[in-house]
Amino acid sequence: MTEQELSVRSKQEVSREEPTRPGRTYQPDVDIYETRDALWLWADMPGVDGTQINVNLADGVLTLEGRVALEDYKNLSPIYTEYSVGNYLRRFMISSDINTDEIKARVTNGVLELELPKTERAKPRRISVSTA
Amino acid sequence: MPLIRFSPDLDPVDGLLSLQRELGRVFESPFGSELGPSGRGVYPPMNAFSDREGYVLRMEVPGIAAENLKIETHGRTLTVSGKREIKTPENGSFHRRERDSGEFSRSLQLPSELDLSRAEASCKHGILTIRLPKKEEAKPRQITVHAV
Repeated sequence: MTEQELSVRSKQEVSREEPTRPGRTYQPDVDIYETRDALWLWADMPGVDGTQINVNLADGVLTLEGRVALEDYKNLSPIYTEYSVGNYLRRFMISSDINTDEIKARVTNGVLELELPKTERAKPRRISVSTA
Repeated sequence: MPLIRFSPDLDPVDGLLSLQRELGRVFESPFGSELGPSGRGVYPPMNAFSDREGYVLRMEVPGIAAENLKIETHGRTLTVSGKREIKTPENGSFHRRERDSGEFSRSLQLPSELDLSRAEASCKHGILTIRLPKKEEAKPRQITVHAV
C-alpha cells in the first residue's frame, strides 16, 4: 500500500477579543478521540515547550494555550518564509463529564497530548434486559 | 539582504508582533524561486534566516522525533525526509481529525556560498533547525589598514 504524503496547510488565525500583548495568534491542528473511559486530544504546537503551555477546563470549556519562545529568533535575519510564527489558542466545549482531578497532559515533539478521563457517571453502561 | 536583525530584548512589549512583521516582509522573497522544484507548498514548511555564520533553516515537524528524520546533502542539494505516525488508543473513535500522518521528502537547492558538508541539524519541540555555514572564502574578511 502506498504511504500517504504529508501536505502543507497554512495556519488559521484566531479572531476573538484582543489579547493584552500585540501579535497574531493561531489555532493549532487538533485530533479528538473518544474511548469508553476517556476523551483524548492531541494539538500540534511546534515551537512550544511544556512550560509554556496552559490547559484549563472550566464550565464545560477546555482552553488550550501555547506560547512560542522569541529567544529562538535572536540574531537571525529572516530571508524567506513559508510559515507564520505565533502563539496558539483553541477552545472546545466538552459535553462529557470529565474527572478534572485525573486529567493528564504531556508534550512530546511540539504535540500536546491530553487524556481527559470520564467520570463513572459519564461512562456508557450496558443495561441487561431479562426476558420473562 | 535585509540589514535588520531581530532582537527580542530591544522590544519586549511588541517582540512577537515585530517578529511576525519581519517574517511577513520576506514572505514573497526571490530566495524562494531559487530553491528548485521542491519550493513553497511542499511539506514541511520552511523559514530561512541568515546570521553571521551562514544560513539557518527552520522547519515545522510536530510529532516527529529526531530519529525519524533523515537529512542528506549532495553538492548544493539538501534533502530532508521522514515519516509521521499517529497512534491512538484502542476501541475508540475520532470526533475530529485535523492532523495528517504520512511520509515526506523535500529537496532544496541552496546557494553555492554555503558549505553543506558542515551542516548541523537539531530538533526541538517539533522544530527542525539546520545550520549551514558559509564557505570560508565566502565569509567577509577584515583587511588591515597599514599606516605608512
